[in-house]
Amino acid sequence: MVNGFAPATLQEALAIRAAQDVTPYAGGTDLMVENRRGVSYLFLSKIPELRQITVDDTCVRIGAAVTFTEALADERVPQIMRDALAGIAAPAIRNAGTFGGNLGNGSAKADSVLVEFALDAKLRLVSLSGERIVPVEQFYLGRKKLDLHSDELIAEILLPKTGWENYYYEKVGGRNALAISRVAFAGVLRMENDRIVDLSAAFGAVADTVLRLKDAEGMLIGKTVAEAKAAKEAFLSRYEQDLTLTRGRVSAEYRKAVCLRLLQAFLEKFGI
Amino acid sequence: MNGISFTLNGREVTYTGSAADRLLDVLRRDYGCTSVKCGCKEGECGACAVLVDGVLLNSCCVAMGAVDGAAIVTMEGYCKTERFAVLDRAFADLSAVQCGFCIPGMVLAAEALLAKNPHPTEAEIREGLSGNLCRCTGYNAIVNAVENAAKEGNGLW
Amino acid sequence: MENISRSVVKKDHAPKMSGRSIYVSDYQTAQSGERILTGKLLRSTLAHARVLGVDVPELPEGYFYVDARDVPGDNNVNIVLDDTPVFCRETVEYIGDPIAMLCGPDPDEVERLVKACRVRYEELEPVLDLAAGQEAFFDYRFGHGDVDAAFAAADKQYDETFETGYQDQTYLEPQGMMAEPEADGGMYVHGSMQCVYYVHGALPRVLACAPEKVHVFQDVTGGGFGGKEDYPSVLGCQVAVAARKCGAPVRCVLDRREDLACTSKRHPSLCRYRAAVKDGKVTALEIDVRFNAGGYSTLSAVVLQRGIIAAQGVYNIPNLRLRGRAIKTNTVPNGAYRGFGGPQTFFAVEMMMDHIARDLGVDALAFKEAHLVKKGDSTSTEGRYHFPVPLPGMIDQVDAACDLRKKRALYSQPQTGRYRRGIGTSLYFHGAGFTGSGERDLIKAVAKLRKYADGTVEVLAANGEIGQGLRTTFPKIVAQELGLPLEKVSYNHPDTARVPDSGPTVASRSLMVVGELLRRAAAKLKAQWRDGEEQEVEERFREPDFLIPFYLDKFSGDAYPTYSWGVNAIEVEVDTYTGKTKILGAYGSFDVGTPIDEKIVIGQMEGGFLQGIGYASIEKMAYDHTGRIRSNSFSDYLIPTAADVPNLKCMLYVEKYPEGPYGAKGAGELPLVGAPGAYVEAMEQALGGVSLHHAPFTAEDTMDTIVKEGL
Repeated sequence: MVNGFAPATLQEALAIRAAQDVTPYAGGTDLMVENRRGVSYLFLSKIPELRQITVDDTCVRIGAAVTFTEALADERVPQIMRDALAGIAAPAIRNAGTFGGNLGNGSAKADSVLVEFALDAKLRLVSLSGERIVPVEQFYLGRKKLDLHSDELIAEILLPKTGWENYYYEKVGGRNALAISRVAFAGVLRMENDRIVDLSAAFGAVADTVLRLKDAEGMLIGKTVAEAKAAKEAFLSRYEQDLTLTRGRVSAEYRKAVCLRLLQAFLEKFGI
Repeated sequence: MNGISFTLNGREVTYTGSAADRLLDVLRRDYGCTSVKCGCKEGECGACAVLVDGVLLNSCCVAMGAVDGAAIVTMEGYCKTERFAVLDRAFADLSAVQCGFCIPGMVLAAEALLAKNPHPTEAEIREGLSGNLCRCTGYNAIVNAVENAAKEGNGLW
Repeated sequence: MENISRSVVKKDHAPKMSGRSIYVSDYQTAQSGERILTGKLLRSTLAHARVLGVDVPELPEGYFYVDARDVPGDNNVNIVLDDTPVFCRETVEYIGDPIAMLCGPDPDEVERLVKACRVRYEELEPVLDLAAGQEAFFDYRFGHGDVDAAFAAADKQYDETFETGYQDQTYLEPQGMMAEPEADGGMYVHGSMQCVYYVHGALPRVLACAPEKVHVFQDVTGGGFGGKEDYPSVLGCQVAVAARKCGAPVRCVLDRREDLACTSKRHPSLCRYRAAVKDGKVTALEIDVRFNAGGYSTLSAVVLQRGIIAAQGVYNIPNLRLRGRAIKTNTVPNGAYRGFGGPQTFFAVEMMMDHIARDLGVDALAFKEAHLVKKGDSTSTEGRYHFPVPLPGMIDQVDAACDLRKKRALYSQPQTGRYRRGIGTSLYFHGAGFTGSGERDLIKAVAKLRKYADGTVEVLAANGEIGQGLRTTFPKIVAQELGLPLEKVSYNHPDTARVPDSGPTVASRSLMVVGELLRRAAAKLKAQWRDGEEQEVEERFREPDFLIPFYLDKFSGDAYPTYSWGVNAIEVEVDTYTGKTKILGAYGSFDVGTPIDEKIVIGQMEGGFLQGIGYASIEKMAYDHTGRIRSNSFSDYLIPTAADVPNLKCMLYVEKYPEGPYGAKGAGELPLVGAPGAYVEAMEQALGGVSLHHAPFTAEDTMDTIVKEGL
């Protein structure tokens, strides 16, 4: 085809990716808004390896070209992710939008990416010369800057099979559908023997990339609920102090106030 | 170089232009499918929605290369179906069509919803149509029409 | 229910439902079979500047650059005054002001050429601040009674300022017009519009030709809401000038971002209200209204007139002093949008009454009820409310639908927790038909019926079907009067070559004014009916006898023959963690007289009410310090989706108007007018009884209040 390649296998796709100046195309929902002229697309939607969801001992593995609609209907996908997917735009966008595309677009407003941050997801990046497994946090180098080589494709997103059950997710958009996140929050708490063994609190749409303050998260780790309650004020004020938001269409003051309240709602949900 | 082949309302066609062209533009310009409306070209209004292999997509956000081998249905084809006839009666009964510009996309969204969920609740209908903006009706008549069509069309979906 | 109110299948249902209707962007060729050239506007990127010149790239063969020098006649688009140019003169007055049009066969190439044009400017200081703007296109003053004496005698005085923002009409079909030169030297102009004769009136001056040399046709139009009242005259003149120069058909369809940023919107407003209160009643209002007119005057005069006439609301205020100005700023010219000035001032007066009531420690609804006008009372312009004012019954209807009074009392109690509730109400009217003596002096509507030999009848009128149902309701009236089956009567999209000027499709006038002409014409035809013959009858507007003549210079007399009335209640639940508001219910009682087709009227009410709720809550559009509209895409300018207000309930309350067809009054605009007042009042209650002063009141505003008030 003119200005495009539609490979049937991943190997074929990687060969084209290595040899040509192509833009990987999964769902098109972001790319076609830009509608750059003279661009050559590498269409990924017909590649079976990228279209499947599989589960191994530890991970739910979602192919980069799996659409949000497909994942939403798959009960193997963690519920926190499906909550986020349900809030993305509207059916026609979810029918096209993909996990790989949401990552590849590099926006900090991508709702699936927020959950990937909260779950410490890993990405499997592949090229003709092999593959790399990269934590999602390291994949984002800065605003619209990704650790993706020009011969690589995102193949899979690896989400933990368990450990996400205690979660709080909320998206705040400008209306009830067809809304880009103004703030989105995903928090996960893992308890063992009445103690918090892991906590993540991720904020979307507030900075150049999804934000997590690892030091602050650590303030509650190792604590019982009662101890966490006692440390709550310091925990929240740490976020108040350290959460730095970039300017946007919607004021930073507003978004920050919402971030702090959602963080509080997350704690409240688990009795903290 | 091979063209992009697909079926359009049941007819086999081959597009020889750029794979990066917008499906919306091609449907309107090259195939005369002017029921497919352009409201924003950004995937934010649903006026250009079509069915691609039975799945509702905004044709402004689909590149031609992505529909190679697909079966595309626009209102030009859908309006000849029995399911359309049921929706048509339901929309007519409630005077649910005002300016008409959102309607082809809206009706295809209703079809996509009912194909997946033949007996949706009101909330599910609203969610199913939530990507299709209508500025005229306030949506009540459209939502009620889809609800009525689901009842009337028992067995069709 | 009256027979006429019974709903039928709309006459334009089938082609629209099946997608067969041809909108202006859908023509594959011109009527001659020729290829249509694409026109695209080169627009100013500065808010105020002298244009020194344009460096135009080399044009491939078949491509054209069209600007003011190509205008054969006056470079003026006739709207109200003559200040809107077809293409800019020496200066540009707002970001988006059209400088030129590039035309050619390939849309992509035309777009490339527009981008390649370099405009050389000498920048001038723009006026962007509505509050500080000095130049008023229009400055009106009127009043009655003795305001100074009332303030001197007052127990209490209040002084508050209210602000409203832009609202974009957001018709789903963007603006689009097409011009086709005809073999006889004439020009055929058609497209998406409300008012064929406005475009027809503007073209001859611009093309320097006789009126007979142009004809204008309304294509199927994908929504208007006022936005396609005057703008199609501008775009129509531009494509006509371009078609003349190119010697070929030219079509210009705006893309969404261009439409959002560069076409007319609802005027942002600042309204200062001073009130005098004595013995628990408002005795005087002194009101200063400022509307942001933008760079050219377009329709601001008439929008402002309607706005200020409504500024004292539905209340008896014995003393009034009012000044209203349409301020020139270097921003996009604002114009008509459903409600036409009313939503701004009704918001202000409803909030003012609410705030005074709260200060006096009485319930706002009871306070408003104590001031309500009734039949026989004087209007703000010392006209009369000639007919019964049905507001008390309508308030009861809304109360019965949503337990308004009980909820109002309940939600005024202190609330705690994440979610807080409130319910607010608004009471309002919309004056039916043109303001003042416009129908009599300016429009002078003429409508005709043509009966064919086969016994079918065609309505000949200039009013455009824009979704509101005229292609159905006009024939319904005629069929009813003639005792014919509906399928025997037709109404097509108007073509000025075939139809008389029955006036524009504006001001909620089509059904009430033109519908009545058609009813009378039908009665006449019935009396003269001869089987098997072709016959034509005509009716002309005459002013009802009861009217007190209106004088615009003094703002005195009956500004409207009658009024449509509205009562809204909106119930909200605020999420204090996110600032988001869920609308639990929106209830409207609307009196538009006899509905000429109940489902069509309900559709108008629901659609208009939802637009009003959008205006009140999420539809935020503003310009930055350079004058650039920031919310210029559908991802930034948010209108309600199907998922936003599921519980929207509209009810009709019928107070017939004897001069309207079967008792019908104006309908289209009414349902939008009251939403901001009801919504923001509800927000005040949910936010613990704060006083709020602006709309839209967004999630950001809500959070701002929550933080400030420590909620």
